Amino acid sequence: MPTLPELQRSFARALCGRETTALGLVDSMPARLEIYANTRRATLTQALALTFPAVRALVGAPFFDAMAWAFAATTPPASAYLNDYGARLPRFLRRYEPAASLIYLADVARLEWAVSRACHAPDAPRWDPRELSALDPGDLSGVIFIAHPSVATLRLAYPADRIWRAVLEQDEAAMRAIDLAAGPVHVLVERDPEDQVRVCRLLPSAWQFTRRLLAGQPLFQALAPAAESAAATLGEHLAAGRFIGCRPDRDRGDPSP
Amino acid sequence: MSHPNGRVLTSRPVPAQAGIGLRFPHPEAVSATRTRVAFLEVHAENYFGGGVTRRCLERVRRDYPLSVHGVGLSLGSAEPLSAAHLARLAELVRAIDPALVSEHLSWSISGATYLADLLPLPMTEEALEVVCRHVERAQEVLGRRILLENPSAYVRFEHSPIPEWEFLAAVAARTGCRLLCDINNVFVTAHNLGGDPNQYVDALAPALIEEIHLAGHAQRTCPQGRSILIDHHGSAVDPAVWALYQRALRRWGAKPTLIEWDTDLPPLSVLVQEAHTAERYLAHAAGAARADAA
Repeated sequence: MPTLPELQRSFARALCGRETTALGLVDSMPARLEIYANTRRATLTQALALTFPAVRALVGAPFFDAMAWAFAATTPPASAYLNDYGARLPRFLRRYEPAASLIYLADVARLEWAVSRACHAPDAPRWDPRELSALDPGDLSGVIFIAHPSVATLRLAYPADRIWRAVLEQDEAAMRAIDLAAGPVHVLVERDPEDQVRVCRLLPSAWQFTRRLLAGQPLFQALAPAAESAAATLGEHLAAGRFIGCRPDRDRGDPSP
Repeated sequence: MSHPNGRVLTSRPVPAQAGIGLRFPHPEAVSATRTRVAFLEVHAENYFGGGVTRRCLERVRRDYPLSVHGVGLSLGSAEPLSAAHLARLAELVRAIDPALVSEHLSWSISGATYLADLLPLPMTEEALEVVCRHVERAQEVLGRRILLENPSAYVRFEHSPIPEWEFLAAVAARTGCRLLCDINNVFVTAHNLGGDPNQYVDALAPALIEEIHLAGHAQRTCPQGRSILIDHHGSAVDPAVWALYQRALRRWGAKPTLIEWDTDLPPLSVLVQEAHTAERYLAHAAGAARADAA
């Protein structure tokens, strides 16, 4: 008699189409296992459709469902927290032959994933930048800012932000005006203190600086390569509530707590 | 419980009346119109994150008693519970402090892959030990008792010697958990696997039941010609399920009852209508109990 782990591994293989039947079942006819397999397929494609609505609108529902299912077959979710499922879809799309003609599709998916992360990121109390005054003045240049968990930066080879917006707003004129050859765009994605998800473009230098700050580099180090406009960018981030705290750079050998 | 705005929330109990499962896009309409239902139930996993969905849950939580229904803990998996999933559930339960927290007598994870359905367990001593261990662990991390729900099933295991109602009662006895009886699932499983739904309802101890679920099912015909019922939560409650529900109320007395509708979601008013039908049966059961006591 098979053990529970054996039964479950076998059932899982049958559900994923790797075996035609499962161990230990009386009614192991395919028609009955298919009920579970159909629910699985519907649940996973629906979850991806909710996270990637612009990708779905760009390719159409039947194409999207087939693509989502091809993705789910190779990259199933690890948990039932399905808002957290789809991180690897953009990379999958880059190699997905049937969509190869839509050169910007993977970039739109990358943006939608960042938007979804921003939407569902855990809550974190916003921070009053006046707390910077509590730092030892000697620590200021080495301060490390802690970003709100919703904040992310993306460099997109195509204007996926404009495509995303035009598709979701069904704005044909904006769609026609998009210039795919305009060069890369640098965006910041966040959930603002009013819980609205925002996507905004940054200048490349401001984006580079922001990226270094978000990676946890101390201020002096983030500033070093391109200091022009950095003060204004930092001011914007602080005013927009994109940081939830700061700490002195411990690696500088500062013994103060 | 303290709240960001300084308010103190106290968990309002779910009354022995009828509520509805709250699904997108209904939350706004429910908040705006103060829909007349006794309580609301949400799927835990839809509210794990922060932001607007969490704000929405906090809003309905202020106006209605709330039940949090998990679909992904996979209490029946032979492998250990996902610590990350349990931690997210615990965070939600701490923040919202719902009146009820429930999960399923099923499994959905194997080899760290989520299989996206509530899969059936063989009713064996081995499975009973696994489920009890996981229910205990969940209750320990959540710091509260949970309700365990009977699933719907389409396949039967060759070796499954314990009747499901006995299995559920044993989990309750060993772990202190209580039961959520899905009347539609009792009906669907009995039809699909052979069995008497009345016997199932009669065998459950009334004191263990803290909630009832009702939902619609669909009928399909297998290639072999046999009819099979699919628990799709996409239609009105079937008359035969209403009849089984009335039998359950006669045996158990009035219990908090939830209308679930997850696919082909109709307007909110249709769900409320179903809840009001349940409400009439509940009032009748409560009246009968008072007459008995007098």
